[in-house]
Amino acid sequence: MLSCKQVAALASDYLDRNSLDNNTQLKWQIRLHLLMCANCRRFVRHLKITQQVGAGITKHASPQDAEMVWKKLQAHIKEETQSKQK
Amino acid sequence: MIDNERELIAQLMKGDDYAFRRLIAQYHSLMLNIARAIAGDTFADDVVQEAWVSVYRNIVNFEQRSSLKTWLLTIVSNQAKARLRKESRQVSLDQLDGETPGSYLDGTHFKKNGHWQQSVPRWNNESPESLLEEQQLQRCINRTLDLLPSAQKAAFILRDIEQQSFDDICNILSVSAANVRVLVHRARLTLMQVIDRYQETGSC
Ligand SMILES: [Zn+2]
Repeated sequence: MLSCKQVAALASDYLDRNSLDNNTQLKWQIRLHLLMCANCRRFVRHLKITQQVGAGITKHASPQDAEMVWKKLQAHIKEETQSKQK
Repeated sequence: MIDNERELIAQLMKGDDYAFRRLIAQYHSLMLNIARAIAGDTFADDVVQEAWVSVYRNIVNFEQRSSLKTWLLTIVSNQAKARLRKESRQVSLDQLDGETPGSYLDGTHFKKNGHWQQSVPRWNNESPESLLEEQQLQRCINRTLDLLPSAQKAAFILRDIEQQSFDDICNILSVSAANVRVLVHRARLTLMQVIDRYQETGSC
């Protein structure tokens, strides 16, 4: 019988569809634990929600940062072209 | 989405500067996170700047055998690894990012027999869609993401935000598959605690 601690450690693998495919026995042990343990059921449910919330986070560069990168890039290209011409 | 990308690539190949600036705005932050995870904070800005030069030069030769994103990630990953070799710093990501104290897995949450010490906190709001609309929660999550160790952060962004396969993430970060899984799991658990706190208090 798995402990709650073990289930918590394996919860991401359990949620990622294919990762326990070659370990059906472990998958069933987790299922059995979840059938009997409300805390772990809640934990796995919350982890899944966390994953879905995480997937919706956007992380883009600020327009100022992007513009700065572009300017440096232009300067770099220009410098290299000039040094080749010399 | 795919058509959109094809259009963007066509414009980039024609040397359309506006398209290139769009590309930077979209991917710079992602590339910076990869560079930080591989080469460390000190070199990351430099590495990404070099990567953009390389992208600018080589976009005409991009053969579209992979997606644009994968191509960009490969370039920045290679630049970062090259930089690390050049600086002869032998840092393996596998050794970084130990257990965060207070995290769900650090033992304080469990009794000796492995049972939960306390019951897992209940959430009033279990809808991902409506949670994503909470501005305050978004801010809390973004702030927490920025505090994560760089390898955890990169693994989490690549997996959960960018939906890359574990195989691709292993190659990009040069970390074993098992360790990518551990990194992603730890990051998720930290964010889950942010949501725990948010559900209880309405703030971080
Ligand atoms: Zn349990």
